[in-house]
Amino acid sequence: MTAEAHIFRLDAVSKRYGVTVALDNINLSVERNEYVSLLGPSGSGKTVLLRTIAGFETPDEGRIEINGRDVSSLPAHERGIGFVFQNFALFPHLSVADNIGFGLANRNDPLPHDEIVDRVSDIIKLVGLEGLGARGVGQISGGQKQRVALARTLVTEPKLILLDEPLGALDANLRGRMRNELRAIRERLGVTFLHVTGSETEALAMGDRVIVLDRGHIAQFDHPDHVYSKPATPNVAKFLNRYNMFDGSISGSAFKSEYGDLAFIQKTKSDHPAYAVRYDRVAVDSDGSAGKGPSLPANFIASEYLGSSIMYFFEAIGGKVIEVEHHLSHGAPKTFEPKKSYRLRWKPEDAIVFG
Amino acid sequence: MAVPAKTSSTTAWWLIAPGVIWMTLFLVIPILMIVYVSFWTQTTFKIESTLTLASWQQFFASDTYITSLFTTVRIWLIVLIATLVIGYPTALYVGLFVKNKTLSTILLVICVIPFWTSFLIRVLAWRPMLGKEGAINIILQKFGIISAPIEALLFTELSVIIGMTQIYCVFMVGPIAFMLGRIDPNIIEASRDLGAGFWRIFRKIIFPLSLPGVVVGAIFVSVMVLGEFATASALSGRKVNLLGNIIVTQVGSLKWALASVVGVILTIVMGIVVALFLRIVDLRREL
Amino acid sequence: MESRVLKPILAVYVALFILFLYGPFFILTILSFQQGPEGGPQFPIIEWSTYWYRHIFGLTEASRVAPLPVGQAMTRSLILAFMTMVTSTVLGVMSAQAFRKKFKGSDIVFYLIVLGMITPGLLTGLGVALVSKNIFNVDRHWWSTAFVSHVVYTFPFAFLVMLAILNRFDASVEEASWSLGVSPMRTFRKVTFPLIFPGVLSSMLFAFTLSYDEFSRTLLSSNEQTLPLAIYGTFAVEIHPNIFAFGVLTTLFSFSLLAVYAILMGLSVRRAKKIAIQEEIG
Repeated sequence: MTAEAHIFRLDAVSKRYGVTVALDNINLSVERNEYVSLLGPSGSGKTVLLRTIAGFETPDEGRIEINGRDVSSLPAHERGIGFVFQNFALFPHLSVADNIGFGLANRNDPLPHDEIVDRVSDIIKLVGLEGLGARGVGQISGGQKQRVALARTLVTEPKLILLDEPLGALDANLRGRMRNELRAIRERLGVTFLHVTGSETEALAMGDRVIVLDRGHIAQFDHPDHVYSKPATPNVAKFLNRYNMFDGSISGSAFKSEYGDLAFIQKTKSDHPAYAVRYDRVAVDSDGSAGKGPSLPANFIASEYLGSSIMYFFEAIGGKVIEVEHHLSHGAPKTFEPKKSYRLRWKPEDAIVFG
Repeated sequence: MAVPAKTSSTTAWWLIAPGVIWMTLFLVIPILMIVYVSFWTQTTFKIESTLTLASWQQFFASDTYITSLFTTVRIWLIVLIATLVIGYPTALYVGLFVKNKTLSTILLVICVIPFWTSFLIRVLAWRPMLGKEGAINIILQKFGIISAPIEALLFTELSVIIGMTQIYCVFMVGPIAFMLGRIDPNIIEASRDLGAGFWRIFRKIIFPLSLPGVVVGAIFVSVMVLGEFATASALSGRKVNLLGNIIVTQVGSLKWALASVVGVILTIVMGIVVALFLRIVDLRREL
Repeated sequence: MESRVLKPILAVYVALFILFLYGPFFILTILSFQQGPEGGPQFPIIEWSTYWYRHIFGLTEASRVAPLPVGQAMTRSLILAFMTMVTSTVLGVMSAQAFRKKFKGSDIVFYLIVLGMITPGLLTGLGVALVSKNIFNVDRHWWSTAFVSHVVYTFPFAFLVMLAILNRFDASVEEASWSLGVSPMRTFRKVTFPLIFPGVLSSMLFAFTLSYDEFSRTLLSSNEQTLPLAIYGTFAVEIHPNIFAFGVLTTLFSFSLLAVYAILMGLSVRRAKKIAIQEEIG
């Protein structure tokens, strides 16, 4: 096989359902041996994109290439990809081992029985399901189901595995453990994962790179730290759930908002003007005067302890809630008096401005 | 969602084609054929494809046939009302009053079990029930309610109506119970809290919500009663002649053209009845 | 308060309703034990006996009451019901499978199929008879013309049962199978079919019982007698308790059929569980 750098490529892929545009001229290429998260709110088209790559949906326009081969007109079973479903979609009438061996035994060129048994028992070890092979899939826990779903796909050795919110059906505890396991397994096998998720923490924590999808088009495709610190559009900043966002308009070197003129240094081109400042870049000052730099007055409402950090909630003019994150590594938590007015400040270079 | 869209339409057509061909060949064409043959020329033992209105004129000129048309419509109406009146309270109990799902399933199964006895045997079973020395007369006499047996019970229009009502009322109970079972009990609870009496709740909420079930049941019962002939021949002693009986007799004496005329009239009557019911409720939206 | 009164009243009513449904058959069963051959199909019971049951199987001395002409008719009915069951289930599964995705003309096709179950049997029978006689010029037989008109009637039932099953079917297991490289045909055989099997069994049961008991279509579309036609034939002449005894026997037969269905159904559900339980113990 030629050493094609990309595992898959989409060229101008569009998909409509009636008048709703689900995918709007998507151009995307992903490299081999990479963990890519695909983040987007519900309705952004992330699942449709995944299903289109898998061949469960046909795009109205555009070209899809997998492994250097045009698969646009190929049915799902000839695309050589793996797919992990949110609800696991295990075969309820088969045992764990039969679920895992299903692809090898039933594809067009089935493997000999002995080899299937070997491969299945290898993969059962890899995902940690020893001793459960003969069980029915109704008799195992959610985490184990997730492993069966993954093992069933891995055993067919695809180079690209699409995961549709694979951790969505698990409880928080298990989700954390499965995150690490997914990353470890992927690195060991050297395959590419494209992982759809609605959770910004999951997307940033797991992806080598993160795609942010917004209403059917790609808003940003970058390394997680870049996405986190330099969101490309106001919507990306909003999805990340780490930014206080202000509406307003740019006039000269200031951003005019209902909280007065807010200073900034750099701005990013965008159709929608917005002013964003990260939760952990806001400082709280008990001195109520305006002083230097961007700031605004707000009343303290409540705080929430998060382990490594603490969140403070303030209410600004017009009822807008402003969140302030204080990392405990930066000092002991402060106490504020409820309903008392404070001054929230940040450095102008920390502001991200769109306009 | 299935196979990619481009191929899915073709796949769907391949899957559906055998069924469509079967229904066209053995249902649509035969019905059109009935219409066509009703205009053919009938000789004593044969029919010829020369078109004529003779069989139609024969039908409308004969008192026997016109009477049978009216008898069919009358018996249909009576049985329809009887099945509704007798079936509705049962459906009300099974669908609404029984809160226990298992119990309501058991009751429905009990209603369906008789269907595993041959239809004809079930019809026939009314003879020893209704006859002059039948069970009903014996019981009524035992209790001294009557002194002499009622002879009008069997081999009359009444026996046909009783038989049909018993056989078809389950088709009314099922759909109504199904619709009643879907009513959110909170709605009834809420209106009770507002002080509405049962009768008012029934008129304003329960009955309107069960109406699609009534319509489905009515369509079932109507279609079956209008096409009936066996109950009439078994329980009326040939006194009641429905359109169905005429078709059977005419085919028996090789009068295919006249049988077809009756067939067309039956189709028209049914078409009107079903269309009327469908006007009451938009079934596609309700179900 | 009113419902507290209403509920027991309705319960009593339902009991009477069930009596109304079962009463006639109950009386028929009693009379099937009438003395023979002189005892008639009415009360009083002269003497309890199994004479009429023995009469059906030809175990009694010849008398003025002729044995029921049911032997051959029953064989025909069973074969016909089996043929109808297989054909309409295959058609039903295929059509319902097609209906999982909206396709052009699906509304018309839906009504075309449903038309088969709401058209009175007499009309189907008459129409099929006319077509076979005047277009194809073929004779009417239980295995040809009667068979096709039976399928016209039972296929819609099989179709609706399968449609209901497939509506609740989670399509992602099929997609999972495709993504593992398994072709749609094999996916249907290995995944879809085993999962919809309970529905297939139900539509088979439906088709078999409907066909086995069908007579208005058969009456006009078959030259030979099936079982219901044989029973219908006895209406014309005087009836004897042997027909009652026969009714009891066929009902018992239907129930054994129903029992087989229930056992098959139970087995297919239990199979999966059993493996799991053994694993739990071991």
